Amino acid sequence: MASPEPRIRLPEKVTKGETFLVRSLITHRMETGLRSDGDGNVIPRKIINRFVCRYNEKVVFSVELHEAVSANPYMEFHILARESGTLEFFWYEDGGAVFSTSRELVVS
Amino acid sequence: GPCMSDATRETSITRRALVYRIGLGAAVLAFAPPATATATDAPMAEILTLTGGRMPVASDRLLLDMPRVFANGFTVPMTITVESPMSETDHVRQVHVLAPGNPFLKVASFHFTPDSGEARVSTRIRLAQPQHIYALAELSDGSFLLAETWVEVKTNGCAG
Repeated sequence: MASPEPRIRLPEKVTKGETFLVRSLITHRMETGLRSDGDGNVIPRKIINRFVCRYNEKVVFSVELHEAVSANPYMEFHILARESGTLEFFWYEDGGAVFSTSRELVVS
Repeated sequence: GPCMSDATRETSITRRALVYRIGLGAAVLAFAPPATATATDAPMAEILTLTGGRMPVASDRLLLDMPRVFANGFTVPMTITVESPMSETDHVRQVHVLAPGNPFLKVASFHFTPDSGEARVSTRIRLAQPQHIYALAELSDGSFLLAETWVEVKTNGCAG
């Protein structure tokens, strides 16, 4: 499997006090543990089990994901623009791997 | 959900919940209507575990928006919106989604904060068969809202 690739889409500019939309996605099979390979062996579960968004180091939105979240899990959610700073995004995979990316946010 | 009037939904959930509670006392069980008399299959044991035993209220403030019919069970769109001021003193803490017709009941739990601005999230989920989906929202005052919707998928999104 190719290495999971995080993608984030944000508005180009936001104003203080505005609630803005965040679109997040990571390329990932979200292997449920319910499938078998061609030889009848169960393919072990490997999913993104947690997603966290931090805004200037404070967790503002997070998700616990189970097997039923579709492959290439995407989340659209909102954040209240309080001040300029850094948005960090973390995806936690079964087995302990963590994938992350960040974006600078300018609030005018 | 879109398949039922709000009055029907409120009645069915409340009654089902009541049946469950009464069912805890075996002595009263004989006088309770059978659970199958209700229109829904709400997973009340899991719901009451998530609420710590508090009874959720069926509410239009919690909207679970999904297509009534969707061919592809692998990627069924879902949007959850809770009407809330999202202030420090009055906000949505989290929303749990349950799919009783799936191999695993829990779908996802979304955690909001006053910094969310809006209690609204969209994602895509897998459904194994046509079923009711349930959303359970926990508010900052410790109360819980429950909503449901019926989704009919044509393919088993949990198999392939």
